[in-house]
Amino acid sequence: MDKLCFVTEQVIEKLKDSGADMAYCTASSGETREFNVEGGEFTLFRTLFDNSLTLTAFIDGKKGSVGLNSFDEEKIDEAVENCIAAARSSTPDSAWALAPGKNEKSFKNGAVTPDLDLLFDRTKELLETIERDYPLIVMEQMIVAHENAHSVYRNSNGALYTKQAGYYNFDLMYSAHEGEEGSSFFSTGVITDNLDRPAIELGSIAKDLSDVQKQIHTVPTEGKFTGTMLLSPSCFGEFISEIAGNFASDSPILEGTSIWKDALGTMVADERITVSFNPSEKEIVCGQSYTTEGFVAEDFDFIKNGRLESFLVSLYVSNKTGVERAKNSGGSMVIAPGDRSLDEIIAGIGKGILVGRFSGGSPANNGDFSGVAKNSFLIENGKIKCAVSETMIAGNLADMLKNLVAISKERMADGYSLLPYAAFDGITVSGK
Amino acid sequence: MFSNKIADIRKDFADGVHTEVRCQQNKSRSVAIVSGNLTGNARSETEGVSARVYKNGVYGFSSMAEVSVEAARSVLRAATDNACFMDSRINKGKGPIIPIAPQEIFCPTSGIDVEQKMYIDFAREIDSYVEKHCKNLTGRGISVRADSMDKYIEVSDGCSGHSYIPRSYIYLRMTAETKDGLPVERFIPIGGFGTFDTFFTTPDALFAKVDDLYEKIMLKREGIYPDAGVKTCILGGELSGMLAHEAVGHTVEADLVLGGSVAAHNLNKRVASELVTMIDYAHTCNGVEAPLPVYIDDEGVPCRDQVLIKDGILTGYMNSRESAERFAMEPMGNARAYSFSDEPLIRMRNTAIAPGTSTLEEMIASVDDGYYFTDTNNGQADTTGEFMFGVCMGYEIKNGKLGRPLLDTTISGVAFEMLKTVDMVSDTMEWSSSGYCGKKQPMPVGIGGAAVRCKVTIGGR
Repeated sequence: MDKLCFVTEQVIEKLKDSGADMAYCTASSGETREFNVEGGEFTLFRTLFDNSLTLTAFIDGKKGSVGLNSFDEEKIDEAVENCIAAARSSTPDSAWALAPGKNEKSFKNGAVTPDLDLLFDRTKELLETIERDYPLIVMEQMIVAHENAHSVYRNSNGALYTKQAGYYNFDLMYSAHEGEEGSSFFSTGVITDNLDRPAIELGSIAKDLSDVQKQIHTVPTEGKFTGTMLLSPSCFGEFISEIAGNFASDSPILEGTSIWKDALGTMVADERITVSFNPSEKEIVCGQSYTTEGFVAEDFDFIKNGRLESFLVSLYVSNKTGVERAKNSGGSMVIAPGDRSLDEIIAGIGKGILVGRFSGGSPANNGDFSGVAKNSFLIENGKIKCAVSETMIAGNLADMLKNLVAISKERMADGYSLLPYAAFDGITVSGK
Repeated sequence: MFSNKIADIRKDFADGVHTEVRCQQNKSRSVAIVSGNLTGNARSETEGVSARVYKNGVYGFSSMAEVSVEAARSVLRAATDNACFMDSRINKGKGPIIPIAPQEIFCPTSGIDVEQKMYIDFAREIDSYVEKHCKNLTGRGISVRADSMDKYIEVSDGCSGHSYIPRSYIYLRMTAETKDGLPVERFIPIGGFGTFDTFFTTPDALFAKVDDLYEKIMLKREGIYPDAGVKTCILGGELSGMLAHEAVGHTVEADLVLGGSVAAHNLNKRVASELVTMIDYAHTCNGVEAPLPVYIDDEGVPCRDQVLIKDGILTGYMNSRESAERFAMEPMGNARAYSFSDEPLIRMRNTAIAPGTSTLEEMIASVDDGYYFTDTNNGQADTTGEFMFGVCMGYEIKNGKLGRPLLDTTISGVAFEMLKTVDMVSDTMEWSSSGYCGKKQPMPVGIGGAAVRCKVTIGGR
């Protein structure tokens, strides 16, 4: 950590000496230890040692950035020179700014030091459990790793943040097979700060494996109907991320193309919907600690009881447009639970679809979306009827938020987010 | 230019142990202007060494952020330790990898690393032209991106050499509104293989492309939604390339075959009409350099074309050296790593449907009621071959003639079923190399091909 502090101090001094009137810099050193499984067999063990140094300078409101992975003095001098040259070539913009005032803080998150033997044992145990309890699953790829990093952030206004963070992650990609028939592939990812429990118990791994085993024999949807779309927790999170990106992030707010550009403080969703970005939530592993602008990351509500509480914009776009900046960069999504169980929600659906994965492109600027419902089940008369294939779903993201049927009591915590199931009416489901 | 600092590492290779050592530098330069605001202006360079060692059916790998023989020795020791760790725990007991006749392969290099100012000046000048000449836009974006992978490879029982893949692109985006207030967007990449100076001379040389994009976004404002359902359509080269890459290419990567892809049960079977031949080109296509030529892969295999589908029959998979042995096929140079800290994975290079004999005009004239889809902005596919592509530009075809432009839509199907409906293939090809393929690691790839006439499902509103 001392070296990283020294490097960042040197970089800020050199940038200022070269003419920068504002600057920030992040230096980090990281290690990764990773086991790879392909086709159900162990294939590879990797250990990686990497560095990262990013520096940004502002000269008369002109910004330039350079990144490298070396702390070598000669390379740092070259990077400072390139950074200054890039800034001088840029366009002046008075909206660029950094967090005001001095602030020093240290953060320590997760499991910084790995227990490699236990990690290998948990990985082997997970493979054996899947082979025994989920016999139809073919593990296309499983990557299990421990990653850690020490990092230091420093800016010219006096912010200095040091951070040690480490976590274990389990990424599984698989499908289920019987004879020549097979399901769609599915992936499940979990990060955790401890190996106290068998990995099969983490996040939605067991539930996902079980669901995929039921998706081998599918029925193509015939015709078209308007019904209820019940989203799995990870799918719900992806839809909310699209909503945030399309209606509330830097680009649509800066360009003025967001349909929510004047909606701050108004109802944009059903009052049962509350979406927050909470890096300090206890189920979140290694959430954001500080922003590149030099602010300490804080929890904030994006939508609270249906009301749009904050855009997800940077300090730059905040200064350009006059809207308040977001209090972190938007990870660590937490959605409030509802008052009905998943089974109760399914029992209340006349005709609809339980979507495990959405395969579609970016929605249009107005929120229209369409794509294929993968790893999904048809629901009829309150019961799951069959797994489906060649089924498209279409709707509008903004309308969807106002057509909520229910949110589940159950929530899935995978270390990245904490999310429930959610059902929405008015979705077009079509097949051949 | 990045130089080889690991040539001496071969002295440290253990006898009879398959060993790969690579030093690599990746560069990236980017500039972004959003509606007149310069929001991105960054350069990055990462470099380091890595080693991979094979032992009895498992690999050990290690990397570090330093380029020197000492660093190479250090990662070689760590990779050997890792291979031993895995071997002691797993005990697969497999034999050695089949050796490849050694040779040295050095790919051509040219071009210079231009200053950041040149990217910014280009972007600003094009943005000024758009602002001045393109009225009634609600948004505009200009991005410039140049990146490169420069690597030296030393392999114990294969080829050694140098691989250099630079590419440079300018991305233009325009947003407008229909009369009903619906936002419509179009986006084009301009550029290709090579450093920025070899591809771009002056900004005004691109103004015709800007005018063309503007004309199309204005046309698209008057567009209609296509009818949902199954229709006879022509997929332009961009769409057929997306199909070749996403819906077929990934399913015939040997690691995904082992993971249960649809191709596992279809080798040497008919999966397409006899008009369809699909190839993963290594570095040359029909006598011309492919969009992103690859001459040597990261396992020391000289790159050759891999024919995936020949006259409608699935004839081969893309392989690493190890998977090729398992399937009794030849490795053709598909094992590629993105960064110095990445291990080689089975990846595509330039995947395309080979040209046929029909002209595009004949193909359009042959459709009574259908669509011609020209541009795509995204695509996803499953290991079952089920696919969904976003279509962001196209035209209706009525009585053999192009009609009104289309608003955004999606098409979907199952690749090995849809390809059997192909009844015309164009005699020309289109290529693109502006994107990344994602599979644990990103990877620049070329995609493209001939236009095809086929039956495809169109998503409705």
